[in-house]
Amino acid sequence: MSDAAASALVEDLFRREFGRLVSALTRLLGPANLSLAEDVVQDALITAMEAWRFGPPRDPNAWILQVARRRAIDAIRRNKRMAPLPPTLESEWTVAGVVESALSREDDADELAMMFSICDQGLSQETHVTLILRLLCGLSPREIARAFLVDTQTIDRRLHRGRARLATLGALHDVTSVDDFRARQPSVLQALYLLFNEGYHGSDPDNPLLPAMCLDALQLVELLLNSPVSGQEHVHALAALFCFHAARLSTRLDPEGVFLPLAEQDRARWDQLLIQRGVVHLSKASAGTALTRWHLEAGIACEHTMAPSVEQTNWRRIVELYDALLALAPGPIVAMNRAIVVAELHGLEDARSALLALTDDKRVAGYPFFWGALADIERRGGHADDARGHYGRAIGLSRSRAERVSYERKLALLNN
Amino acid sequence: MPKFMFIFRGGAQEYPDLSPTEMQEHLKKWYAWAGELAKAGRHSGGQPLDNGGKTMRGRDRIVTDGPYAESKDLVTGSLVLHAESLDEAVELARDCPVFDFGGSVEVRPVVEHEV
Repeated sequence: MSDAAASALVEDLFRREFGRLVSALTRLLGPANLSLAEDVVQDALITAMEAWRFGPPRDPNAWILQVARRRAIDAIRRNKRMAPLPPTLESEWTVAGVVESALSREDDADELAMMFSICDQGLSQETHVTLILRLLCGLSPREIARAFLVDTQTIDRRLHRGRARLATLGALHDVTSVDDFRARQPSVLQALYLLFNEGYHGSDPDNPLLPAMCLDALQLVELLLNSPVSGQEHVHALAALFCFHAARLSTRLDPEGVFLPLAEQDRARWDQLLIQRGVVHLSKASAGTALTRWHLEAGIACEHTMAPSVEQTNWRRIVELYDALLALAPGPIVAMNRAIVVAELHGLEDARSALLALTDDKRVAGYPFFWGALADIERRGGHADDARGHYGRAIGLSRSRAERVSYERKLALLNN
Repeated sequence: MPKFMFIFRGGAQEYPDLSPTEMQEHLKKWYAWAGELAKAGRHSGGQPLDNGGKTMRGRDRIVTDGPYAESKDLVTGSLVLHAESLDEAVELARDCPVFDFGGSVEVRPVVEHEV
């Protein structure tokens, strides 16, 4: 019975239900009652866990929904330690019906309202990401702290600030108004971009890849695309970028948990479904006239992902896209990435001088990947001593074992 | 084969900080544990209990609310399984996930009339 029992529970079911129900309840009770909404859902999930030990119910989602609904109605009727409720909940006679319909919505409007309310100008970007992980992705403060490599109190403080800010809103932002949607969307997209990056090369040295976080970011960006506001080409571009990177996630680490360079990754294991999803998003992204940095980054990721091998990669096209990206969003990291691909198109010497021109930049100089890339160029150019020195710096700056060992291996090859 | 009842007490109610992922992981452990028992032909069925309830007592049938035990002593479920002996039944309880969150198992032989 029990293998079947385990598979009846969709992966991340508890996490997903947490996000869905907290959003719905907060929209119903008002953001001043956010903590109460979190408590109600937490309690419903613990009840489910205890009750399902000997086997899950036929419809796990409906089961959790039913308990959350009862708990919410009890809390409203007791009306203790609660901020004022919206007028729809004032009549004792209709409470049950109002709660029932608020929690049974089939669309994503609650999560969208939550996401747009979280990404408030009055809060920092890291608080946006923290609140998204807590309220929409159902991570506990401890889990968020582990991912960001900070202590739990720091996360608690951010959540506290966020909840206090949300409480001043009166109601979650519905995103039916196009103007409101457009005004808040950039910070939502930026938060999702950071969320994806955190999963793609996270800060936790023992867990440098957090695929679930990447997939959460993809799911949330696709949620935006389901909203009734149209003309979202740049959102499709961001979704495409996520798809192409996520498709390669499983090959980024070797069986020993060490980062593998693109050239050594097993392309046959890249996720074809995600690649196709990325291609669909990218073609929708190209429907309008807008050209954003997400378009260019997605275009670059697409070229890498579609190429059958490193040798058969369209380097000319990739360098063109980097040129456009550098013009649109100048910065040392973009310049560094451009220099690396220049090696394939114009040769090692051009790449080397472009990289050396960046060594004075603090952000670049503290980035192990930069020294690893420079070392690769020197190694390929036959400058073994320079390469050794640069690999040494990359090793010294490495943030995880996965990174460090990947440079140590290259250094060892050089010494043989 | 003789039957034994496992009476579970306590569990996660005392751990309010559990994350949704940890909760789901915990369930997976229960299913893996029960799955092993079932494969060995030992499992015969479990029953979870809700935490509320009422108690009736005495000649006067006095009804009081709730078991109101301390949460570590509260009976949270039971399971009946087959084992050769009490010792073996206790051994089967060893890997039970109830211990993860401060719970306990009472192992009791089920009386069966042989004649």
